[in-house]
Amino acid sequence: MKGTAEATTLEGAIWEALSGIRDPEIPPCSITDLGIVERIQVTDDAVEVDLLPTFAGCPALDVIRDDAEAAVQAVAPSLQLRVRFVYSKPWTSDRITPEGRRALREYGVTPPGEGARGGTVVIPLAALERTSRTSLCPFCGSEDTVMESAFGPTLCRSTHFCRSCRNPFEAFKPKG
Amino acid sequence: MPEDPRLMLLLALADDELILGHRHSEWTGWAPHIEEDLAFSSIAQDEMAHARLLYRLAHESGLSNRDEDALALGREPQEYVNAWLCERPNRDWGYTLARQYLYDTADAVRLEVLAESSWQELAELVKVMQLEEKYHLDHARQWFSKLADGPAEGRQRFSDGLSAAIGEAMALFEPLPHEDQLVAEGLMPRSNEQLLAEWLGRLGEELEAASLDFVLTRHGATAEMVPTSSGDMPAPGEDLMVPGLSRRDGRWVHEGGFTGAGGRRGRHSEDFLPLWEEMTGLYRAHPGAKW
Repeated sequence: MKGTAEATTLEGAIWEALSGIRDPEIPPCSITDLGIVERIQVTDDAVEVDLLPTFAGCPALDVIRDDAEAAVQAVAPSLQLRVRFVYSKPWTSDRITPEGRRALREYGVTPPGEGARGGTVVIPLAALERTSRTSLCPFCGSEDTVMESAFGPTLCRSTHFCRSCRNPFEAFKPKG
Repeated sequence: MPEDPRLMLLLALADDELILGHRHSEWTGWAPHIEEDLAFSSIAQDEMAHARLLYRLAHESGLSNRDEDALALGREPQEYVNAWLCERPNRDWGYTLARQYLYDTADAVRLEVLAESSWQELAELVKVMQLEEKYHLDHARQWFSKLADGPAEGRQRFSDGLSAAIGEAMALFEPLPHEDQLVAEGLMPRSNEQLLAEWLGRLGEELEAASLDFVLTRHGATAEMVPTSSGDMPAPGEDLMVPGLSRRDGRWVHEGGFTGAGGRRGRHSEDFLPLWEEMTGLYRAHPGAKW
């Protein structure tokens, strides 16, 4: 084992490097803010990084893994690397940090579970009734929104409509 | 057929997800409106991803020397062990939604049990899958209530779809080869027959609450129509019952065989081969290609 202080420093540097990596489908948010980085383990001659996928079918997983590996390689060039996605526990949307939620909101995607409010909501286009939480509009902040579909342009996003400012918008799906 | 019961279990789960995922993906670009196009495309993407996780577990745990791509796309037709329900064409929107409802409610029952499997890696994967399947179930249930309470034509076409799919949906729980061993070792904490009883109990209640339970007694899809003085009528006799289904003491129970039996032993309907040819065509044309 390396000395504890040295290992801790390297671990910090790896974390810092990973915080520069983005999910290409959620560009404003780093993977550390999305809560994807589950574990960094530094030993004498190796670094292991375990990542949790937001959704198992996310097509960006390989890109994220490769980018993360290159970033770790840059700060620990002499060590063996193993960067991989693991499924030993599910990723849940409460892993997104406050900073990540702020970045999502600024990007125009409502963070998961924001604006939770009960009540029946009529979905205009699909004309399906749904009793569920609504999402705050990321543009005008209104609560008067409807979820049009639990599905959207990516697996992790749902589609909504704001009845106040009449804009369609997306929200990050609550999970867990 | 795989000799190892654990491989059998993984392939049965994975092949169901892969093949139904393929059918769902056929709606991409064609669904009745864009929200549903996205919904079926997303559900397909999830199901294929779940299949991939299970194939990968089969490979990484040493049960198969084939990797996830080779298991998904590199097997011969008779090596796939999905239930027939999953390979049937989408037919119309009513059948598509009825099948999705039946499949995802049945899948939920088996995933609840497999989340408690003594095989830790499998239990972990199942817990990841369950959080995503929740959205599929929501989708199925929303359409169920909408169509059950909706205008007559939609309700009729949905109930036609349920009638056509219900028999083969029961065969999702057809016992696996060597299942006794899986149950004894806690890999499958409950047998398929017990899971089927649980699912039928829940299904019966939901259908009765929506006054759709007639689909369990009338097998619209296979009842032969015969001309009578009052027009075409279903032929009387056993064809009117869903084979393998009975009602005892106020509950729907499985009794007898399965419609579409043999999926778990690699036997398929006439609909499988065209699907397999399309699904595996690129992989077979370019062996070993990476993309």
